[in-house]
Amino acid sequence: MKLYIGGAYQGQEELARAENPGAVILADFHETVRAALRRGEDPRAFAREVCRTQPDAVIVANEVGAGVVPIDAGERAFREAVGRALCVIAQASEQVTRAVCGIGVRIK
Amino acid sequence: MIVFLTGGSGCGKSTYAEKLVASMPAGRRVYLATMQVYDEESERRVARHRAQRAGKGFETVERWKDLAGAPIAPGSTVLLEDLPNLLAGEMFDGGDWTRVIPALRALASQCENLVIVSNDVFSDGVTYPDETQEYLRRLAQINAAAAGLADYAAEVVYSIPVPLKGEAPCA
Repeated sequence: MKLYIGGAYQGQEELARAENPGAVILADFHETVRAALRRGEDPRAFAREVCRTQPDAVIVANEVGAGVVPIDAGERAFREAVGRALCVIAQASEQVTRAVCGIGVRIK
Repeated sequence: MIVFLTGGSGCGKSTYAEKLVASMPAGRRVYLATMQVYDEESERRVARHRAQRAGKGFETVERWKDLAGAPIAPGSTVLLEDLPNLLAGEMFDGGDWTRVIPALRALASQCENLVIVSNDVFSDGVTYPDETQEYLRRLAQINAAAAGLADYAAEVVYSIPVPLKGEAPCA
C-alpha cells in the first residue's frame, strides 16, 4: 500500500498516477472517509478494513487538518476522522509521499 | 531535552509525544493538561487521552491558564498538551497571554525533559474576525518561541514525524 497526501490541488493524484502506472488508485480518500463517517462507521476501523481488503491500493487524500478548529461539530469530526484514518493508512503503507506544489516529498 | 511537536487535527501528535516521553529516562512523568472541559465533546477527548496514557506512569496536572503556577516538581519530565488551549485560556478567559512565553522558558529550564505539543491551525486560507486573527498571530509567535527552545522539533504528518530541527531522541 502507498499513500499520497497534500493540501488541496497540490498534485498528489497526478504524482500517484505517474509513479504507479496500472495500480488501483483510491482518489479523494478524505471524501471516502467523510462518507464512512456519515454511515456511522469508526474511521480507524474503516481504514483498517481498506488495508485488509485492498493491500495493494494507492491511496490519495487531501490534508484537511491544518486550519482553525471549525465551530461546526460535523466539520470538526470530519477533520479528525480523516486524521485518524490516514494515521492507520500511513502506518500500513510502505511509502508515504507528500505533494507540495506538484513536488513529491517522500516522508516514509 | 526540549521537544516541540506540531501537526494538524487527528495527526497522531499525542500518541507520538507519549511514545517519546515513555522512551525518556525519567523519574517523575507529568502530563500537563491545558484543555478546559466544558462539554461532552471535550469530556470524550479527555477520556480518550486518559485511556491512551493509562499504565504509562503519568501523573496529571490540569492548568488551562497561568502555566507558571502549575505545581511541577523540578527535574520532572513533562508532556505539555497543548499550546492552543493554553492561549485560549489566557485570551478568552480572563488571563494574560503575554505570560505564556516566559512561563514556557521557565518550565523548560526546570524540567529534565519537556515535550510541548501545539497544533497547526494556520493553513486553511480563511480570514477570520479580528479576535481570531489576533489569536492566530499570537499562537504563531508562541509556537516559534517554543520551537526556538527545542532541541528537537517536528511536524507529525499522519503518524509520521517529519523533523524540522534537531535529531529525534530514540523512541
